[in-house]
Amino acid sequence: MPLFGELFLSEVLKKPVFDPKGEIVGRVHDALVVKGDPLPKIAAVILHQRKQLLILRWEQINLFSKRVISTYLNEGELPSYELQETDLLASRDILDKQIVDVNGVKIVRANDIKLEGYEGEAVLIAVDVGMRGILRRLGIERGSESLLKTFNSDIPYNLIAWTYMQPLSPQLNAIALTVSRQMVSDLHPADLAEIISQVPQKEGAALFENLDIETAADALSELEPDKQAEMIKSIEPEKAADIIEEMNPDDAADVLSDLPTEVAKEILEHIEKEDAEDIQELLHHEEDTAGGLMNNLFIAYPPNITAREALERFRKDAEEVEPVYYVFVVDQLEKLVGVLSLREMILADPDKLLADIMQTKLRTVTPETDEMVVAELISKYDLVAVPVVDSDGVCAGVITVDDIIDVIMPREGKRKRRKV
Amino acid sequence: MRGFWKKALLFLTVMGPGIITANIDNDASGITTYSVVGARFGYSLLWTLIPVTAALIVVQEMVARMGVVTGKGLADLIREEFGVKAAFYLLLGLFIANFGNTVANFAGWAASMQILGLSKYAMVPIGAAAIWLLVVKGSYRIIENVLLVACLIFVGYIISGIMAKPDWLEVGKSLVVPDIKWDAEYLILAVGIIGTTITPWMQFYMQSSIAEKGIKKEDYRLTRLDVIVGCSITDIVSFFIIVTCATLLYPHGIRVEDASEAAIALQPLAGNYAALIFSIALANASILGAIIVPLATAYYICEAMGWEAGVNKSFKEAPQFMGIYTLIIGAAAAIILIPGAPLVDLMVLSAIVNGLMLPFVLVFIIKLINNKKIMGDYTNSRAYNIISWSTVTVVAVLTVLFVVASVFPIA
Repeated sequence: MPLFGELFLSEVLKKPVFDPKGEIVGRVHDALVVKGDPLPKIAAVILHQRKQLLILRWEQINLFSKRVISTYLNEGELPSYELQETDLLASRDILDKQIVDVNGVKIVRANDIKLEGYEGEAVLIAVDVGMRGILRRLGIERGSESLLKTFNSDIPYNLIAWTYMQPLSPQLNAIALTVSRQMVSDLHPADLAEIISQVPQKEGAALFENLDIETAADALSELEPDKQAEMIKSIEPEKAADIIEEMNPDDAADVLSDLPTEVAKEILEHIEKEDAEDIQELLHHEEDTAGGLMNNLFIAYPPNITAREALERFRKDAEEVEPVYYVFVVDQLEKLVGVLSLREMILADPDKLLADIMQTKLRTVTPETDEMVVAELISKYDLVAVPVVDSDGVCAGVITVDDIIDVIMPREGKRKRRKV
Repeated sequence: MRGFWKKALLFLTVMGPGIITANIDNDASGITTYSVVGARFGYSLLWTLIPVTAALIVVQEMVARMGVVTGKGLADLIREEFGVKAAFYLLLGLFIANFGNTVANFAGWAASMQILGLSKYAMVPIGAAAIWLLVVKGSYRIIENVLLVACLIFVGYIISGIMAKPDWLEVGKSLVVPDIKWDAEYLILAVGIIGTTITPWMQFYMQSSIAEKGIKKEDYRLTRLDVIVGCSITDIVSFFIIVTCATLLYPHGIRVEDASEAAIALQPLAGNYAALIFSIALANASILGAIIVPLATAYYICEAMGWEAGVNKSFKEAPQFMGIYTLIIGAAAAIILIPGAPLVDLMVLSAIVNGLMLPFVLVFIIKLINNKKIMGDYTNSRAYNIISWSTVTVVAVLTVLFVVASVFPIA
C-alpha cells in the first residue's frame, strides 16, 4: 500500500527515490499512466539518474508520499527506460496541455494532476486547472496562501474530476474534453463551433472528425468560412459528402464555394444526385444577390387542393425543409400564384381550397436583386420570408429572415462565392 | 502572366503579420535610437543595418514557420514544452519589459503632441482612453484595419529622408563599408540598434498573429516572403531616419537625446515640413506601439496560463485579460502625467530586462523549431541550424554586453 491519502504530481516530480540502504537511486522524472478501473492509474515511475532514464514499477515502490519515496530495490537494479511516443506519461503528455472545458466553453490548462490512493494503487483523480496549480508548480502555494490569509481571503481550488475527462484520441494527448462524446452532441452547435475555432487546427479537426454526421453538419454551418474549408479538407471526401448532404442547400453551397475547385467537385460526386443539383444551382448565383442568399428547398402546392390536404402533405414534406414560414401556391407551370402563412393554413376552414385562402398580393424578388434591397423589403413589410421568382414568375427559392440577419450583421471574413 | 497575378493575389491574403510586426518594431524607442545614431555618428553606423536585417529575417522566419506549422503561439509552445516555471518567469519578464515599452510609447506620444502644440495633460488621457476603448469595445477587424492604415504613415520618414538631400554616394558607401570606431558610445549605439530591432515580444506577437490567421503549410513560402519583405521595410524605415538625422543634424554637431528632440532640432534646419513629418510619424509609431504592446502582453500571459482571453470578451468573462490590459495602459499613462516619475529609470530597466530575456527566447525558439514532435518535417536543416545558432549566439552575446554597459556606464 504505497500511497495513502492524496497528493499532487508536482509534489513528487524531481524528488529523490531512496533504496533500502538510503542511497538515492534517481529522481522522479515522470509517471507512466495506464488504463485502470474505474480511473487511470500509475503503473510505474520514470526516474532520472546520471542522464539516464530508469523505470521503477509501482509494485517495487515501498513508500510514496510528498516527503519520502523509497523502493525495495537496490541502486543499480533498476532497468533503463526508453522514451516511447505510445506511452502516456503524466508530466510529458498531460501537464501544461490544453483542456477544452466544454461546460464553460473555454480552454484551460492542466496545471497539475491530483493523485489518490485506491486499493494500493495511485489513481489519477482530478486535473488542477486553477491558480493553486500554478502557484504549487512555482513552489509558492503555501506562501501565497498565508499571505492571502492575512487579508482574510483564500485561493479557490479549481479541479476537474478525471471522470469527466475524455482524451480525444490516444495519440493526441494534447487535448481532452471535460465531457463524454455523447454529451458533446448535446452541445449547441454554435458553442461547438466556438470550441473548434479556438483550438489549433489539428485538434479542432480531431474533434470535428469524431462528431456524428448530424452534429457535424450543424456545427459546420456555424463555423467561419475558412474554418469550414479547413474542417472539410481534413476528413474523407465520403464523410464530407454525407455532412454536406445533411446541411441546408444554401449553407452547403457556401461551404463548397470556399473549397478548391477539385475538392468541391470530388465531394459533389459523392452527394446524391438530387441534392447535388440543388447545391449546384445555388452555386451559380452571385454572392451578394437574392440568388446567393436563397434556399431552394421550399414547400409549394397547387391551388386546387384543400387546406386539410395541404396540412397532411405538409406534415411529411416539412421534415426535409427548414425553416418554414410560408407555403407557396404554384400553378402547373410552377409559377407562383399565391402564398399562405402557416397560421393561415392551420386556422382556415379545412375544406376550403388553397386558391380561396391564399394571399395574392405578392412581394417577391428576383435572383438578381441586391441583398440589401431584400433586407429593406423584409424590414419594411415586416416579413419573415420572401419568395424568389425568376423572370418567368417561376418560384426559384426563398429567403428567410435569418439569412437576412447574417447580411445585416455579417460574421468576420464574409465569404466570396465562386462557381464550381 | 496569369500565374503571376494568381500568386500576387495569394500573397496579398497571406501577408500582413510580417509587415505589421515589422512596422510596430519601429516604435518610439526604436525611432529614438535611430535619431540619436544619425545625429551623433552621421552615416557611420549605417552598415550595421544590413547584418541586423539578416539576423532579424533568420529569427522571424523560424518563428513564422512555427506559427504556420503548429497553429499555436510561442507562449503556448514554451508552456507546453518547458513547463510552467519557464513560461511564468519568461512572461513575468515580458510583462515588465513591455510595461516599460508602453511607457516609452506614451512618452513618445506626449512629446510629439507637445511639438504639435497640444498639451500632454489632455492628449495622454485621450490617447489612453481611445486605445482602451478600441480593444474593449472594438472588434479584431477594426483593429487590423487601423493598424494597416497606420503602417502607411511610416512612409513619412522615407519622404523626409529624400527631402534632406543627402549625398547618396556617401550614404551608399557607408551602408556597405563598415567604419568601426573603437569608441564606447559608438559600440553601445551599434548594439542598441540590435536591441531595438530584435526584441523578445516581437517574436511572440509574430507567431501569434500568424497562428491566428490560420495560414496553411502549403502557403508557407508566401509567409516567408512576407517575413522578408516586412523585415526589409523595418530597416528601410530605420535607414531613412538615420539618413535624415545624419544629413541635417550631424554636420551641425547637434546632439539629441530622443526622437522628439530630433523633430524640434529639424525645424530650423529643414523647415516646418520635416519637423511636422517627424512628429506625426512619431505620434503614429507611439500610439501603434501603445495599442499592440499591452494587448499582446495580455494575450500571451493568458494563453500560457490557461486564462480566458479575447478582444470580444467582457471584463467578467476574461478578468485577467482585461485586467492586465487595463493595468498596463492605465499605469503607463499615469506615469507620464505624474511630474517627477522615474521615467528614465523605468526605460533603462525595461531595456535591461529585454536584453536579458532575448537570449532565453532565442534559445527556446531554436530548441522548439528542432523538435520533431512539434515541427515534423519542418525542422531546421543542418546548414540552417549553423546559420541560426551563430546568429543567435552573436545577438545574445551583444545584447548581454549591452545590458552590462547599461548597468555600468563607461562614459
